[in-house]
Amino acid sequence: MVIQSALLRDNVRARGRAGAKPDVEASPRRRRPRFNALTAFWLLIVAILVLPIALFLAVAFSPALLSQGPQWFTLSAFSAALSGHLLLGFVNSLVIGIVTAVSAAIIGFVLAWIVIRTDAPARGIWTGVVFALFLTPSYLIALGWERLLEPNGVLQTLGWDPAGARDLFYGPGGIVIVLTVKGIPFAYLAISNALRGLGHEYEDAVRVHGGGALASMRVVVSLLAPAIWAALAIVFAESVSDFGVASTLANDSHFTVATFELYTAVQAFPVQFPVASAISWVLLIFVVLALWAQSRALKGRSYRVLGGRSRRAVRRRLSKVEKAAVVLGMSLLILIALGVPTFGAVSASLIDGLGSVGGSHSWTLANYARVITSPDLSAPLLYSMQAAVIAASVTTVLAVVCARLLAAGQTSLSSRVLDMVLLAAVALPGIVFAAGYIFAYNLPLTNALGVHLYGTTVLLVLAYIATALPSTSRLLVGSMSQIQNSMLHSSRVHGAGAIFSWFSIVLPVISRPLLNAWLLTFTATLLELPVSQLLAPPGEQPISVGITVTLSKYDFGGGTAMEVLAILTALLVVLAATLIFRLATPRGWRTLGTAK
Amino acid sequence: MNVRTRWAALSLAGVALVGLTGCAGAASASSSGSATAAVEPLVLYAAEGFDAVSAKAFTAKTGIPVKLVDDSTGPLLTKIQAEKNNPQWSILWVDGDTAFSSLDQQGLLAPYAAHGSWNAVGKAIIPSDNAYTPTGTTVMSALIYNAAKVTTVPATYQDLLGSAYSGKVGMNDPAQSGPTYPFIAGLMNQLGGQTGGVAAGEAYLTKLKANGLKVFPTNGDTLHALETGQVDYGMIQSSAAIGEVLKVKATANFQPKIVYLPKSTLLPSVIGIDKGASAVQQAEAKKFIDFVVSPEGQAVMLTGDATGDSLFWPVVDDAKSLKDLPAFPAAYQSLDPAFWGPLQSRVVTWFESNIK
Repeated sequence: MVIQSALLRDNVRARGRAGAKPDVEASPRRRRPRFNALTAFWLLIVAILVLPIALFLAVAFSPALLSQGPQWFTLSAFSAALSGHLLLGFVNSLVIGIVTAVSAAIIGFVLAWIVIRTDAPARGIWTGVVFALFLTPSYLIALGWERLLEPNGVLQTLGWDPAGARDLFYGPGGIVIVLTVKGIPFAYLAISNALRGLGHEYEDAVRVHGGGALASMRVVVSLLAPAIWAALAIVFAESVSDFGVASTLANDSHFTVATFELYTAVQAFPVQFPVASAISWVLLIFVVLALWAQSRALKGRSYRVLGGRSRRAVRRRLSKVEKAAVVLGMSLLILIALGVPTFGAVSASLIDGLGSVGGSHSWTLANYARVITSPDLSAPLLYSMQAAVIAASVTTVLAVVCARLLAAGQTSLSSRVLDMVLLAAVALPGIVFAAGYIFAYNLPLTNALGVHLYGTTVLLVLAYIATALPSTSRLLVGSMSQIQNSMLHSSRVHGAGAIFSWFSIVLPVISRPLLNAWLLTFTATLLELPVSQLLAPPGEQPISVGITVTLSKYDFGGGTAMEVLAILTALLVVLAATLIFRLATPRGWRTLGTAK
Repeated sequence: MNVRTRWAALSLAGVALVGLTGCAGAASASSSGSATAAVEPLVLYAAEGFDAVSAKAFTAKTGIPVKLVDDSTGPLLTKIQAEKNNPQWSILWVDGDTAFSSLDQQGLLAPYAAHGSWNAVGKAIIPSDNAYTPTGTTVMSALIYNAAKVTTVPATYQDLLGSAYSGKVGMNDPAQSGPTYPFIAGLMNQLGGQTGGVAAGEAYLTKLKANGLKVFPTNGDTLHALETGQVDYGMIQSSAAIGEVLKVKATANFQPKIVYLPKSTLLPSVIGIDKGASAVQQAEAKKFIDFVVSPEGQAVMLTGDATGDSLFWPVVDDAKSLKDLPAFPAAYQSLDPAFWGPLQSRVVTWFESNIK
């Protein structure tokens, strides 16, 4: 009753707003909820993404606005950011971003194809590998390689001096390898989600018309263009904003990249927010260029391939030689991506003094025994897990809305603005977010309005959501853009309500991508560092900060043991969630994307 | 009683219960502290290995709760700078007085003359306006070397320019390692004073680079380079060097030893009060500072990180130090942070472009 009267009230208001112009497109009753929900969504996006980013970016022009300098308008931060080795850093970042994006997209596509469309052996483990890769911080991959290749490192201790490999790795080559490895999961998830929704009818059509395997692959690649471009854009943005490699490998090989300069401006004393803000502007321009390329490539085409008539794909049977090649290739990738960093982390935590001329080099569990009983591990891990569960759940829901808006088409203004905001957010390193959040939610004005969010877990979780939302939404765009509205329309024609139709038609189709999105956000949030450092409430310590503090006390063994335990815990959650999905969902939900 | 009335009654009862428990909580909080003054939690931003034990001991002694933000110096200073127009911290406790001097110049610190029985070193560090307080000191740098590989030991910084040290010396990057700018400023100060020090220091570092100086990010990385034989001599913070000697068992390949080249620059752990904090918090912060410079507080500091930050030399007369701590270097200098602090950005930028 209350709801009905509220509806009636809103209806009258909507008519009043319409005034003399009658709405001929749709009745106000149908448009109203969409408008309201959309407004609320945009308000949230402004609050958690646009406002913090905008305030941080404003500091470049007007340091006085946020008490970061005396000038109300100046361009001096830009002249500092665009001179000398800072300028070189931008050029290096741009080139590395492009090379990494292309490499990761190619490898991600090949992997997705092998896992979904062939009968390659051991393809089932790949989802686990992808999440392990998501979880492994880029600096850990870089450090693992450094431990192996450095002068008097593990390989040299074992009797082989890898001088040639060292020269190759300590420089742009190594940086591209590590960033590509970190980009592969993004590319793989974006492309595999879309590939699952692509029926076999298009390839059949090519073959019926006399096309060969190559022509059929070309059709598949062009039909997957939104996902491939999403992969390229996201890997590019992630690469130019990465700090893990910048602070380790790039720094050790004295190769300047933009993010390192940004962190130096923010974390070295005196803190120079205006310079960091100017660097962020340049990173944003990079993203605009990436988006421009993406929209040019996809302009005027439709990629709605997932409808009621989609056919299950057929797995290609590989020959023995092909299977051997696939196993070899995947093993090599796992070795490069996970084997070496695992070795780096595990060796430091399990073997006394490995990789140094000191120490007994014997196996020991002392580091694990020490950190498991330490209060520095359990309470922070529990705190971070709780925050990550909430952040992952809210982010997944919001990401569906974002992905739906983005998939609605590049033609609408709101879709383009959202696209820009989300990719901009990926391109800006976490610390920009974190500082922007302090600027936005610690203003005396905000406090005077009664908003006391800074220094609370609520704001930390909101920032986690904002950090994760861009990449999670982009991963879902590929799947959402495939869904043909005809399926929903038929459901509505047969009398089902909008909500029931969504849950019975759309949810089953995107259930697996949703699970992936949740797991991705959970795992990425659990070990997130910059936002945790600046926004964790006093008295609470997220696990990532605990690990960093331990490492900064030269306790590499203890720090890496904590890291290994945190990653193992997260992998257990991934395993449990996957099992629950398998047991709890109807069989039909899991059939989509599987091949015969 | 209909449904609506029942809900209303239940809600009222709920609100009353919450109110009562709130009052009870407030009552218990005030009864645990002083009988008259209100108690507010102190927000302690700290980057010391002994901060957590000190906060715990202080709360146990006074009943004043302390909310700790324990992180490295860099992120803490970033946080303070970002919070500048509405500070949320009560006390900052990190290594190095140059950052404190800068905060003082920005008018962010509330001065306090702490009740400590200062020794000569302490008196050399305390600023005339009492804007901040030292709680102990390390020095920068301790030259740690691998005695299993090299026998030549330098006696001065000039010695390191000789061929015996070519390609064998490592140091930290001042852009990433907090203690390293004070070290470079200290070199400049002793080579040319405040008038010609920057130029003399740059000339010295340029020669050191020409002799094969290697730059690593932080203390831990320079120690790792020493352990793996990438360098044989490393210039790092004394607490890290002494900790390494204590932690690592000497082998045929690795035997770390330390020498202090004249002059060692003081790198004190420093504590200061936020001028924007409430009067209650400022009063509590003063109690906290008095506690950590008291013999009792100093003893607690020794228990926090026995192979790291707890390896400091006292700045008060009646405090003990860890038994493994070697004698305080005879030739030391205290920098004027008000002069060298503002030069940090310029010197670090020069170092990044020319030495790293």
